[in-house]
Amino acid sequence: MSSVEFSTRPVSDQPLRGDFGWRFAAGVAGAGLLTLMLAYAVVALLLRGTALWGTNIPFVWGFDLINYIWWIGIANAASLFAVVLVLRRHGLRTSVNRFAEAAALAAVAAAAIYPILHLGRPWLFYWTVPYPATFEVWPNFRSTLVWDFWGIMSHVVVTGLFWYTGLIPDLATMRDRAVAKGRMVQAQIYGLLALGWRGSVRHWARHQAAYRLVAALVLPMLVSAQTIVALEFATTLVPEWHQARLPLHVVATGIPSGLGVVLALAALLRGGLGLTRYIDDEDMHLLGKLTAAAALLCGYVYAEALLVALLEDATTRQAMAARAFGAYAALYWGGAALVVGLPQLLWFRRARIKARWAVPIGLGAAAGVWLDRFSLVAGGLVRDHLPSTAPLYAPTMPEWTLLLGSVGLFALLMLAFARFVPVVSMFEMRHEESEADVP
Amino acid sequence: MTSAVIAEFDSQDALVAALRAARDAGWRRMDAYAPYPVPEAAKLLGATGARVAWIAIGAGLFGAVLAYATQYWLSVHNYPLNVGGRPLHALPAFLPATTIVAILWAAAGALIGMLALNRLPRLNHPVFAAPGFGRASEDRFFLCLFAGDPGLDAREALYLLRRQKPLSLAELPA
Amino acid sequence: MTPPEAPLPEALAAPDPDRRSVLRAAGASLALATAAGCDWAPAEFGSPLYAPARGLGGPAQSYATVLELDGIGRGVLVRVLNGHAIKIEGNPRHPGSLGATDVFLESAVLGLHDPARSRRLRQRGQVVRDPALLAAWLAEQRAALAAQGGAGLRILTGPVSSPTQRRLIAAVLAAWPGARWHVHAPLADAAAAEGARLAFGAALVPRPDLSTTRCLLALGADPLGPGPAQLALARGWAEARAAGRQAGRLPALLVAESTPSLTGSKADRLLVLPPWEIEALARGIAAELGVAAAAGATHPEAATLAASLRAAGPEACVLAGRGQGVAVHALAHAINAALGAAVPYLEDPTEAAAGTLAELVAEADAVTHLLVLDANPVFDAPADLDVAGLLRRVPHSLHAGPQVDETALAAGWHLPLRHPLESWGDSLAFDGTAALRQPVTRPLVEAAVSVEELLSALAGPRADGQALVRETWRAAWGEAGFEERWRAALEAGVVPDSAAPAGVPVLRDDFTLPPPMPAPATPVAIFAPDPHLWDGRFASEAWLQELPRQLGSLAWGNAVLMAPADARAAGLAEGAEVELRLADRVLRAPVLVTPGQAPGVVTLPLGGGRRAAGGVPGGIGMDAYRLRQVASPWMAAGLSLRATGGAGWAERGADFTLAGDPRVRRLTPGEAVPPLPPPRSLYPDWQYTGHAWGMAIDLDTCIGCNACVVACQAENNTPVVGPEEAGRGRAMHWLRVDRVVSGSAEAPQVDFQPVPCMHCEKAPCEVVCPVNATVHDHEGLNLMIYPRCIGTRTCSNNCPYKVRRFNWAGYARQAGAVPVHNPNVPVRPRGVIEKCTYCQHRIKGAQDTARQEGRALRDGDIVTACQNACPTRAIHFGDINDPTSDVSRAKAEGRNYALLGNLDTRPRTTYLARLVS
Repeated sequence: MSSVEFSTRPVSDQPLRGDFGWRFAAGVAGAGLLTLMLAYAVVALLLRGTALWGTNIPFVWGFDLINYIWWIGIANAASLFAVVLVLRRHGLRTSVNRFAEAAALAAVAAAAIYPILHLGRPWLFYWTVPYPATFEVWPNFRSTLVWDFWGIMSHVVVTGLFWYTGLIPDLATMRDRAVAKGRMVQAQIYGLLALGWRGSVRHWARHQAAYRLVAALVLPMLVSAQTIVALEFATTLVPEWHQARLPLHVVATGIPSGLGVVLALAALLRGGLGLTRYIDDEDMHLLGKLTAAAALLCGYVYAEALLVALLEDATTRQAMAARAFGAYAALYWGGAALVVGLPQLLWFRRARIKARWAVPIGLGAAAGVWLDRFSLVAGGLVRDHLPSTAPLYAPTMPEWTLLLGSVGLFALLMLAFARFVPVVSMFEMRHEESEADVP
Repeated sequence: MTSAVIAEFDSQDALVAALRAARDAGWRRMDAYAPYPVPEAAKLLGATGARVAWIAIGAGLFGAVLAYATQYWLSVHNYPLNVGGRPLHALPAFLPATTIVAILWAAAGALIGMLALNRLPRLNHPVFAAPGFGRASEDRFFLCLFAGDPGLDAREALYLLRRQKPLSLAELPA
Repeated sequence: MTPPEAPLPEALAAPDPDRRSVLRAAGASLALATAAGCDWAPAEFGSPLYAPARGLGGPAQSYATVLELDGIGRGVLVRVLNGHAIKIEGNPRHPGSLGATDVFLESAVLGLHDPARSRRLRQRGQVVRDPALLAAWLAEQRAALAAQGGAGLRILTGPVSSPTQRRLIAAVLAAWPGARWHVHAPLADAAAAEGARLAFGAALVPRPDLSTTRCLLALGADPLGPGPAQLALARGWAEARAAGRQAGRLPALLVAESTPSLTGSKADRLLVLPPWEIEALARGIAAELGVAAAAGATHPEAATLAASLRAAGPEACVLAGRGQGVAVHALAHAINAALGAAVPYLEDPTEAAAGTLAELVAEADAVTHLLVLDANPVFDAPADLDVAGLLRRVPHSLHAGPQVDETALAAGWHLPLRHPLESWGDSLAFDGTAALRQPVTRPLVEAAVSVEELLSALAGPRADGQALVRETWRAAWGEAGFEERWRAALEAGVVPDSAAPAGVPVLRDDFTLPPPMPAPATPVAIFAPDPHLWDGRFASEAWLQELPRQLGSLAWGNAVLMAPADARAAGLAEGAEVELRLADRVLRAPVLVTPGQAPGVVTLPLGGGRRAAGGVPGGIGMDAYRLRQVASPWMAAGLSLRATGGAGWAERGADFTLAGDPRVRRLTPGEAVPPLPPPRSLYPDWQYTGHAWGMAIDLDTCIGCNACVVACQAENNTPVVGPEEAGRGRAMHWLRVDRVVSGSAEAPQVDFQPVPCMHCEKAPCEVVCPVNATVHDHEGLNLMIYPRCIGTRTCSNNCPYKVRRFNWAGYARQAGAVPVHNPNVPVRPRGVIEKCTYCQHRIKGAQDTARQEGRALRDGDIVTACQNACPTRAIHFGDINDPTSDVSRAKAEGRNYALLGNLDTRPRTTYLARLVS
C-alpha cells in the first residue's frame, strides 16, 4: 500500500502561517538593516569611487575580489552538493536539496554584485557583453574576465532555472493549500508561479528527465565557472598566482565552505522552523561527515601547495614563502586552520547534531575560506616580479560595510526563502516515502 | 454533455491498477495526476523524457557553435585588433566561454523544452474543476479519461472507473 | 575672473585631515595648472615684444627665457599654447641648461598658475583692496627716507646675479648713502668662500668641465645632485663617461660623503665617512700629493685615492661640498693646485658686497625701514635669529614675494611679486653667462610687480620692467646695433660670449690650514637642502611634494636620515618618530633608515614643515631650520635622540632582491649581456613593417635626478593625488625612478632605474582586458584607450613592471584641481587606468609636421618629454626598425638588456647595463 500517509502539510503550511514570531521578525529586521547598509555602501561607492577602498598599485584588488570568490565558492559548493544528491538520488536530497539550492542562489546574488561594483566605472559593466556598441569594438574574448562574465551569467541563469524547476510542483501544492485555507491572494500568486502545474504523470516524466539532465549539466558548469574564477588569477604573471594548481585549490576549498554554510542553515532551520522530522539526525550526520571529509581533502591541497613550492623555481618559491610567512601569514594559516582543522570536529557525533556546535563549525569553515581568499588576493601579491614600496592592502570601513551588506542580502534572501517557499522539497519527500514503502 | 470522467484514488497502486485497466479497455485519451512522479504510470501512458534530452543536446550544440563562431568572427573578421601580439584566432582562449555558453544553452533548452512539451504554463485546465483536485498536489491520485475516441464515451468511462473503487468519481464538462 | 581670496591667516591652522579638503587646499597647485580661466592670451602684447626661439626645431610657439635657482640663471624654452605657458624645456644654447631641465625648472609652470599665489596687497597679513594705500605709504616713506639720506633703510634679498637688479640696488644705495643691502641665502656656504680665500686670497668658485675630467674626487660634494650648476656638471660627467666607455677606460668618480647623494650613487669608489673623517682624508690625500700645509697627515684610504688623482694629473679634479669645513674647501683647492689640475675658477656670480642676515638682526635698533625682496627669512633663517621679532620691531617693513609666506604674514606690508615667467629681467648662469628674461604670458596677477620695478620705484618714479632691463644692456652694449643684439639675445635665450673669464688660479704662497677638526661627540646633526623642496621655497609645488625622494621613496614629507647601525642602536624602526633635541630646541620627525649614511651622523633635510606655503597645508614634514644655529649652519654637535613611540608612516611593501636576473645589471667594460634564449611560441609574431617605436635607457649615465618624472607629469597632465592618497600608494606618476640598493648597509651600491611603460610586444596587460581598452597599434605602441576602459584593473595585475596607474578618484577633475592642462593630452576621468604612452601625441605631432613638410620622419624628430628633460641624455627614443637611429644603435650595444626578459614579454623599452671598472 503506497498511499501518502506521510503528510507534508507542516512544510507547506509554514509559508501560509500569518505570523512567524518575533525571532523571524527580528531576523528580517537585522538582515534588512544590513541590506540597507549595502545600499548605502553602493551609493557611496558610485558617488565617490573606488578611492574609498584600501586598494592601490600593486594591490589593485581587495575585498571586491576576495568577497566575490568567497561567495561564488559558497554558491558553487552548495550547488554542487545539491546536484550530486539529485544525481545520486540520495535520500538526503529531499531534506537539504531545496535550501542548498536556495543558499547557492542567494550566494550567487551576493557574489554577482561584486564584479560590477569592483569596476572603476561600474555603470559600464555591460561593455563586456558582445553587443553592437557605438565604439564598434567588441569585447576581448581572450580575457578571463569575459570568460567570467559568461560564467557568472550561466551560473545565475542555470542555478535559478534549476531551483525554480524543482520548485514548480511544490508551488502547485502551495497553491492548492492556499485555496483550501481560503487564502485566495496567496493562491493566485503561487498559482501564477506554479505555471498551472497539475501533476500530470506525463509532465512528471519530462520534469524528472529535465531536472536530472540539468543537474548533470550543473556539475561541469560549476567546475568550469569556479575554474574560470581561479583562472583570472592563474593566467596572470604574478608568481604566486601563476599556478596550475590554483583552480583545484579554489574548487576544493570552496567545498567545505559551501557544505559548512548548508550545514549551519540545516541546523538553524531544524531548530528554527521545527522541521526535525524532515531534516533528521541521519541527514545531519551525513552532511557533517561530508563536510569533515571535504576539509580533509583541503588539507591535502594545502600540503601539496607547500610541498610543490619547494620544487619550484626561486621566484615562485619566494612568492609562496611571502604568502605563507610574510605580512599576511596570519590569514594564510588562519584560513588553513579553519578550513582544514575546524571541520574535523564534525567527526564527533554531538557536533553534527547540536546546532550550537554545527552552526559555528559550518560558518567557521566558511570564514576560513574567506581568510584563504584574502590571503590569495592580497598575500599573493606581496612578492611580485619587482618590489614595491606601496603600503600593504588593508580593508577600509566602506569595504567592511559592503561585506556586511552582502551578508545581509544573503540572509534576507534566505529568510524570504524560508518565509515564502517550502524549505524542503515536498514532492521528493512524498516520492521517497512512497519508495520506502515498497517492501 | 460530459467529455471527461475523473476518478480519485488514495494510493499510487490504485492509480496504476486503474490506469492499466483503462489502457486494456482501449483508452488512449487519458491522463493520470499524482503528487509525485510515478514512473510506472508514466510507462503505461507511454510518456518519456527522451525528447527533453534531444532538445538539450541540440540547444547545447547550437550554443557551442554560436559562441565559438561569434568569438571567431568578431575577433578575426569584424574588428581585428592586435591584442598583446597574440594571434587573432586564439583557439585556446575561445574555448572556456564556448564550453560554458554551451552548458547554458543546454540547461535552458532542457528546462524550457520541458515546459514547452508539457504545454505549460497553462493556468486553466478542465481537470482543475474536479472536486477535491487540490489534493492531487498533496496526497491523492487522479485518473481522467477523456471521451472522443470512437466507442469510448463518458458512460464507458464511468463504468470502467467505478469498478476501480475510486474514492470519488466526477464528470467534467468539456 | 575674480581670483579666490587666499585664506589667511587661517593658513597657519592645523590641516584638515579630510582628503578632499586637503586636495582643495593643496590643489592650489594641484594638477597642472594652465588655468584657462586665469590665463589671458597676450593679445595686446603683440609679437614684436616676443622673440620666438628659432632654429631649434622646437614647436613654433616657444619662448626662450631664464629662471633662477639661488640667484643663478638656467635658460629655458617655454612652450606656449594660445597664450598659456604649458611646459618648460631646457634651452640647448644656455650653459646652465644645455637643453635639459631639473625638477625645479619643470615645476615653474605650476608656480605660475598656482591659484594660491599671492594676489592681493596685504597689511599686517590682512588683505588691502585699495592699491592707492600702498602708493601713498610708499610716497610717504620715500619722503621720510630722502630726508634722512636713506639712513635706517635696509634691503634684504636672496642671492642676486641679475645685472639689472644689481644696478638698481646700487642706484638706491648711491641715492641714499645711509641705506644698506643684506643678502640672505639659507643654503649659502660661508666656509666655501672662506676656504677659497685661504687658498687663493679671493672667494673664487671652481667651475670644472667634467667632460674632460678623468678622475673626480668629491669630498662631500654633490656635483650630480640638485643645484644651479647640476645640469652642466651632470652633462659633462655623462660625456666623460661616454668617452670612457668608447675608449674602454672609464673615468673615475671617487666620493667621500656622510650622507647619500646622487654623486655617491654613481661613485666608482664610495667612502662613507663622517665630516671630520672627510677632513682627515682630505688632509691625508693632500699630504700624499705634497701639499706642504698638510704635511704629516695620514689616512688609511689616502694613498690609493691620491694615486688615482696623481694618475689623472691635469685631468683630475677635487671638489669640496656644501657643509664641509673651511679646511676641506681649502684642501680641495690646494690639491687641485698641487696636481696642476686644469680646473678653472671664477668669481661667484652672486657674490656681492652686502651684509648678512645676522648682521641685519644685530643692528635691528638702527633699522627703520626694511624691504624684503623675494626672500622668506622668517621661515628659513636659523632659529637663533629672531627675524619675526625684527619685523615686529621695525616700524616700516615691506615684503615682496610670490606667495603669502611666513615673512609676508609677519611684515607690515606684503606686495605680490610677479612670477619670472611674467616679467622682464636678466640673470647670470653659474659660469657668468648672461641671459635675458622675457615674459611668456600676460601677468596673471594684476596687483603684482617685479623686483626690478619695485627697486626702481624706491629711488625714483616706477619704470617699466622691459625699459629697466634694456637700460642695463644699453649701458653694456652701447647704442650701436643695440636692437639687433637685444633681439638676438632674446631669440637665443642667452647673451653670446658673456661668460665670466675663468682661469686656473695660483695657490697662495702663505697657504696654511686651520687646525684639524676634532671628532665631536656623536650623534651630530648635519643639515642638507631637500632634493625637491630645496630651501623650502618649492614647498608649495605639489608636483615636487608628491615626487618620491631618491632616498626611501618619501613623498609629501621628509624624515631624518639615520644609518642602519644607529637606528638599530636607538631601537628605531623605519618610519618611527624620533624626538631630536639640539641646544634646547626640540623637533619631532620620522626616521628614514638610510644605507650609506655615516654612523653617528644624522641628516636633517631643510625646507619641510612650511607653516604658510601658498595653498599647501601647513606642517608637511618637519622644519629643520628650527634646530639650525647661526654659528653652526651645516653641522651641529650635541644632538640627542629619543624614540617617542609614535609612527611616522604605515608599513610598506617588502623590498627584496630578485631571485632571477638582477634588475640593474653591472658589467665591466667590454663585457656583454648574455642573450636570452630565443623565444618559443606556437604562434607567429606580429610584424611591424613601418615605424616601430622603442626606447633604451642608459643606466650607466642615469643619475636618478627625477627630472624625467616631473617632465612626464607636466607633459601628460598626470594628476597630483595629495598626501593621503600618495600615502596609500596611489600616486599617478607614469614614469618612476626605482632606486635599487645592493651591497651592504655601510657601503651600499645604489642604482637608479627609470621605469616607464615597457610597451611589450607580447603585452600581458592587453590580453586580460575584457573590453579591448588596451591594444597595440600598427607601430607597436601599447595604447590605452581611456573612453573604453571600465576600470577592472586586471591589466595592472598582469603587468610585471607595475607601470599602470589607476584613477581611484577623479583626481584630475575633482574640486580644487585646476581644470585645464596640456591640451594635447586628454585628462582622465575617475575609474580608468592610465600609463606612459611614449608621448604618443609628440609622435603623431612630429609625423604630422613631417607630412606637412613633405619629408620623411627623421631620427630625432620625436623627443619624448622624459628624454628631453634628461640632463645626462640617458634616454634614447626612436624607430627600432631603422638600424641607423640613435635608439637602434643604443640597443645594438652589448650592454642592452630587457628588464625581466625571462618572462618573454619582449619589452620595447630596454636598459643599457651599468659599467663598473
